[in-house]
Amino acid sequence: MKLKRIFALGLALAMTLSLAACGGGSTSSSQASSGAASGGSSTSGSATEISLWAFNIGGFTEASNWDSIIAAFNEANPDIKVTVTPINYQDGDQKLTSAISGGSGPDIIFEGPERIVGNYAREGLMVDLTDLWTASGSDIAEGINSVSQLDGKYYLYPLSAAAHCMAINYEAFEAAGALQYLDETTRTWTTDNFVKAMEAVRDAAAAGTIDITVPGIIYCGAQGGDQGTRALVNNLYSDYYVTEDGSSYNANSANNVKALTLLQDMVNNGSMSANASFAAADELQAFANQTCAVTFCWNYSNYAQYAAQTQFTPFAMAFPSDDGTPELEMAGPYGFGVFDNGDQAKIDAAKKFVDFVCNDQTAGVEAVKTTGFFPVHSDWGDVYADAEDADVRAPFALMNEYLGRYYNLTGGWTEQRALWWPMLAAIMTTGADVQTAADDFVSQANANIG
Amino acid sequence: MSTNAAAVKPKKSGNLTGNSRGYTIFAVVVLIVLTLFLLFPLYWIVTGSFKDAIAINAKEPVWFPMEPTMANYQKLFDRPAFLWLFNIVFISVAAMVLTCITAALAGYALGKKRFIGQKILFTIIICAMALPKQVIVIPLAQEMTLMGLIDTLWAVILPTVGWPFGVFLMKQFAETIPGEILEAARVDGAGELRTFITVVLPMIKPGIGALAIFTFVNTWNDYFLQLVMLQSDTQWTLPLAISNLQGEMSSDFGLIMAGAALAAVPIIIVFIAFQKYFTQGIAMGAVKG
Amino acid sequence: MAQNTTVADAGSKPKKTKAPSPHSGMSRALVRRETTSAYLFLLPSLLFFVTFVVVPMFICVYYSLTDYGLGGVKGFAGLNNYIKLFQDPVFHKGFLNTVLIVVVAVPTVTAFSLWVSSAIYKMHAVPRSFFRCVFYLPVVTGSVAITVVWKWILHPYNGVLNQVAGTTGFDWLGNQKTAIWFIILILFTTSIGQPIVLYVAALGNVDNSIIEAAEVDGATRLQVFWKIKWPSIMPTTLYVLVITTINSFQCFALIQLLTKGGPLNSTMTIMYQVYDTAYRLNDLGLACAIGVVLAVIIAIFSAIQFKVAKTD
Repeated sequence: MKLKRIFALGLALAMTLSLAACGGGSTSSSQASSGAASGGSSTSGSATEISLWAFNIGGFTEASNWDSIIAAFNEANPDIKVTVTPINYQDGDQKLTSAISGGSGPDIIFEGPERIVGNYAREGLMVDLTDLWTASGSDIAEGINSVSQLDGKYYLYPLSAAAHCMAINYEAFEAAGALQYLDETTRTWTTDNFVKAMEAVRDAAAAGTIDITVPGIIYCGAQGGDQGTRALVNNLYSDYYVTEDGSSYNANSANNVKALTLLQDMVNNGSMSANASFAAADELQAFANQTCAVTFCWNYSNYAQYAAQTQFTPFAMAFPSDDGTPELEMAGPYGFGVFDNGDQAKIDAAKKFVDFVCNDQTAGVEAVKTTGFFPVHSDWGDVYADAEDADVRAPFALMNEYLGRYYNLTGGWTEQRALWWPMLAAIMTTGADVQTAADDFVSQANANIG
Repeated sequence: MSTNAAAVKPKKSGNLTGNSRGYTIFAVVVLIVLTLFLLFPLYWIVTGSFKDAIAINAKEPVWFPMEPTMANYQKLFDRPAFLWLFNIVFISVAAMVLTCITAALAGYALGKKRFIGQKILFTIIICAMALPKQVIVIPLAQEMTLMGLIDTLWAVILPTVGWPFGVFLMKQFAETIPGEILEAARVDGAGELRTFITVVLPMIKPGIGALAIFTFVNTWNDYFLQLVMLQSDTQWTLPLAISNLQGEMSSDFGLIMAGAALAAVPIIIVFIAFQKYFTQGIAMGAVKG
Repeated sequence: MAQNTTVADAGSKPKKTKAPSPHSGMSRALVRRETTSAYLFLLPSLLFFVTFVVVPMFICVYYSLTDYGLGGVKGFAGLNNYIKLFQDPVFHKGFLNTVLIVVVAVPTVTAFSLWVSSAIYKMHAVPRSFFRCVFYLPVVTGSVAITVVWKWILHPYNGVLNQVAGTTGFDWLGNQKTAIWFIILILFTTSIGQPIVLYVAALGNVDNSIIEAAEVDGATRLQVFWKIKWPSIMPTTLYVLVITTINSFQCFALIQLLTKGGPLNSTMTIMYQVYDTAYRLNDLGLACAIGVVLAVIIAIFSAIQFKVAKTD
């Protein structure tokens, strides 16, 4: 009677599981709001377990990238066990929301201010990290300091930062005779020269001089890399994404509309292309494949990720600007936020970890180098000074000179990101009227700004 | 079944008119075109997984990788790909076994017993059958957290078992059991459970087979629950890992195709080897729907 | 052999013999005993069903009435989420797309698989199982594997479709007019496998003597089909309708991996909007409200299908 036994076993299993669940189910509605479900039993032992969810920033693409840092941390703190879950920008938000709303959110998150301060701190999910800042944050630049806080409290403790820029395929530009339009020393170009350069690439591709399918691709598909398209539009005629006082999104300003119109014209005359199905990652891959000759989503991290695939020199450039003075968007500052999961032991352990990674100079420099960006601690100096690839990093250091205003903590940021892509797609791929589309975008984005 | 077909065939070809011969040719041509159309993606997955970056990104189609490379598979197996394969197999098999057990019991009760609340229960089951899991996923994830099962394979398995389609299918099968046989068993003094195991179970076995196949394939393809419930890369399933590879690496199609091939080829082999049982089992489901 | 007889039985007399009405001719004690034992048999299944479907559904209804974001439930919102929903143009678009997918995919899949089945069921065993196998392969290949290869095939610059058609750069999935049709097409290829297997079996079991008699009487091919075969395979058709509808409502991997509802919401479905609202916009209360509306739509749909099934 094997069947009978299996049946009995199955029944028993089903009942235990379901009974446990029923108890859970009935209380979950009242419980969910605290977001505190995960704490609990683990504190009973001597070891505290904390979980770190790390976005794939620079070289931190896999859990194993954290091993040496955690090992060093455990030498000083053997009783804290850190587990790492790597997440990426494609579905990281979904994973975090699902975990946080389910009550199984992480203890520490490795990301930038947009999510840590803008999303999570604003929802009251994060722990105040002011004490870390008071103790060791005195040499961190004002620009980074100000974006790490909300209502006077610090929620992000930063590790490294850089500037988002763009890049060109140097050899393709050279062959197309387009290098004359850019300043290779300052890595800047004017809007007029950018247009001429892209047209030169287009013509060279049409003539068969270079093997490029399209000069450049404006990616309009959702998820990630939006900073590239934002910076492109805003720089062309030196405007901002959000008005000076932060009270309104600004895509419909005269200069931004002019910029969007210019890009629309470029798409129409073939010196640019636009793909509504493309996300930034698709465009980067197309750049690496030499399908297109420029990318609008560049930084050291992407350089490192695609280095093995690129059979050409990706030459980092600032975004083109009518006055030749670009204002770049900060990549990061990337650092840590600590979730308030209602368990003080975990919070203390998490803070210790953050303090160690960001303030211990040995561990910190290693972590910074893994991100590929630049340390926020000015006291640490040039951590890449004697690195083998110092010359590869130099252009990215140069980009830091062009850092502009940080507006990514404006209210309704998440919602406007979801609106930005359809607006771009409408303008670039369906030829929609620029002013109307931009007005629509602004009125919808502003609905959540307060 | 094959005897049926053989019996029909000569009769039909005997009175073929010109018109119907034309139709037959048309039908065969359409079928062949469709076959090519449906097989092409599979062909493209398998050949793509052996293409190097140059062939993958070529501007002219590379119909066959003349210089096949294992590089994509090496990249794939640098990651715990076999663990991911194991995870999806485990999820599918566990969901299949649990669904078959619970649904067979419940289907029998619904199909053969007359009890209070039967109509209402059946109506609820019918209504819930088409309910997409997206609707209830937020509370579901909370339940899983409370049960300590979030980010484990059980968080995918258990909700799959809760889906009432199996109960519906087994009810349809159980209804075909003649009442007299059950009555006879009862007269012989068999208890409820004994009757179920010795009389009912053998009679609905083909139905269980149908349900097993259906549940296995559906669970394998239920990307959504895996996406929401599984977080750490040790818990990922192969389909989830493929989609994550796409997220990280954008269009490194060689690597993605290697992942897709690893996910598809084993189950295709199993399917072709057991094709007869597969189709018979599915067909059983049909007849009683 | 036992299997074949069941099949044949059902094929020739599709309508179930009506079960006797529940309590007729049963004593009260018997009813009670039957009820107890029935529920014991139902218990394991019901535990799963209640825990993982019914309870979450109720919680979902509750959440839909609250202001629920990442920070937890912030308060009771009454019907605000529903009002917001019905005014949301994205929801209107999602509703129309959902209807479009169901209305296009379900009849085409059903009609087409019936056609394929009638073309192959009389073939020799070898070609018949070959075709049946081919049409079923996309189902076993798996939705994610099929979807990612289609993404590559449709890639504007490296995709084989554009390379063959000479339309380099055309963005099939980035075009508002074409994207949804590719979603439907791919859904179609992964949906016809099962119905074909079902129809081949059902058609193979239609009583041949009746067909032959009709042919002797000079009935045309169409008449034979409508008067004899169609009624016999009616139960199969209903079953096919049910599973295809479920499939069409639930197509998630396709949209998530190919278009994420874009471009310009042209592939947004209600189902995908639940996901998008919850996980990208973090508005969990609104997401639950969309979920409830979707559940109601589906319940109505199912009810209609089964009403039709009954009256037939």
